[in-house]
Amino acid sequence: MPFLRVTLALLTCLPAIAGAELRWEQPIQDFQRSPEDKYVEARFAFKNVGSSPVTIRRTRSSCGCTTAKLAKQTYVPGESGEIVAKFNFGSRTGPQRKTITVFTEGKEAPDVVLDLRVDVQQPFVVSPGLVFWRIGDEPVAKLIQLTSANGRKVRVKSVTSTNPRVQAKLQTAEEGERYTVLVTPAATDRKETAELRVETDYPADAPRTYTIYARIK
Amino acid sequence: MIARGLREAALLAALALVPALVSGAVQLQWKPSKTAATRMEWRKEEPLQEGEVRMATVQMWGDKVLWVDARSRQKYEAEHAPDAVLLNEDVWETQVAEFLNEWEPEYAVVIYCDGATCDASHAVRKRLTEELQITNVYVLKGGWAAWQGR
Repeated sequence: MPFLRVTLALLTCLPAIAGAELRWEQPIQDFQRSPEDKYVEARFAFKNVGSSPVTIRRTRSSCGCTTAKLAKQTYVPGESGEIVAKFNFGSRTGPQRKTITVFTEGKEAPDVVLDLRVDVQQPFVVSPGLVFWRIGDEPVAKLIQLTSANGRKVRVKSVTSTNPRVQAKLQTAEEGERYTVLVTPAATDRKETAELRVETDYPADAPRTYTIYARIK
Repeated sequence: MIARGLREAALLAALALVPALVSGAVQLQWKPSKTAATRMEWRKEEPLQEGEVRMATVQMWGDKVLWVDARSRQKYEAEHAPDAVLLNEDVWETQVAEFLNEWEPEYAVVIYCDGATCDASHAVRKRLTEELQITNVYVLKGGWAAWQGR
């Protein structure tokens, strides 16, 4: 039965030998950034460790904010390449996870799902970002906390309301660290909308303005 | 001798079938038939993740619902649920005020994005609940496809 044994071993191994395969160096990548960085670029390196050429037919990003670039499509055995993923933060803050799904020729299912994890660390937190009253409510003041975060010192220069019927009063608890804003409507007898602009001194080259929303519903 | 040869050939063929079937399933992505898949779907509905709601439940809420379209502006402009407001993280700064103008405290907010695997609606829900502290915010299970198939 030696013939049977050899044939059996060959039959078992054949699918693996014939298979084309990409080995990814770091399919999961983590970054910490601030919103001012605006974007992060991750390089996902791979090598064709199979015995036949591999063609990457397409990539699919989990978000329109993330693009994936590839120098070329086909890689011969032993050849290396990389997918450069660029994630534009936009207004996103906090922990973000974006994926790039890679499809190769001859496989219907994805070859790999690349994972890009970015913590976009907000330097300044406004909480809550919305205050509202119902029509007929007592026009009592509502409190908003402004807090510097992630080791930054953010100084609030001013808070202004777009609607004179909704007043905002800034109080400093600790300069560059903690502030409160008291928002008070003149009355709640009709619907009102107001945006409160919080002007800061951070970052120094392009100081950011935050918005608090106020509504009478 | 002939009988032994035939036995070995039959055994070889049977043994060859196993890796062939495994290889076939992997390479060709064999799937159950549509009828079988539908049967399986009926038996086991995909569980809801945190904050998700099914279309059938939303339909029971009547008109106290504010629909939020978290897809791209291009897709929103091509077609969207009646009275749906465009809001996703790419247009957050410019669209959130409009969303708040339409929002009423007693409304349920239901967000949809492209399909079952998109994450835009969950991201919008997170920001509405955490940043603006709005309650009653849900993600439509199945996304736009579920809305279309209502």
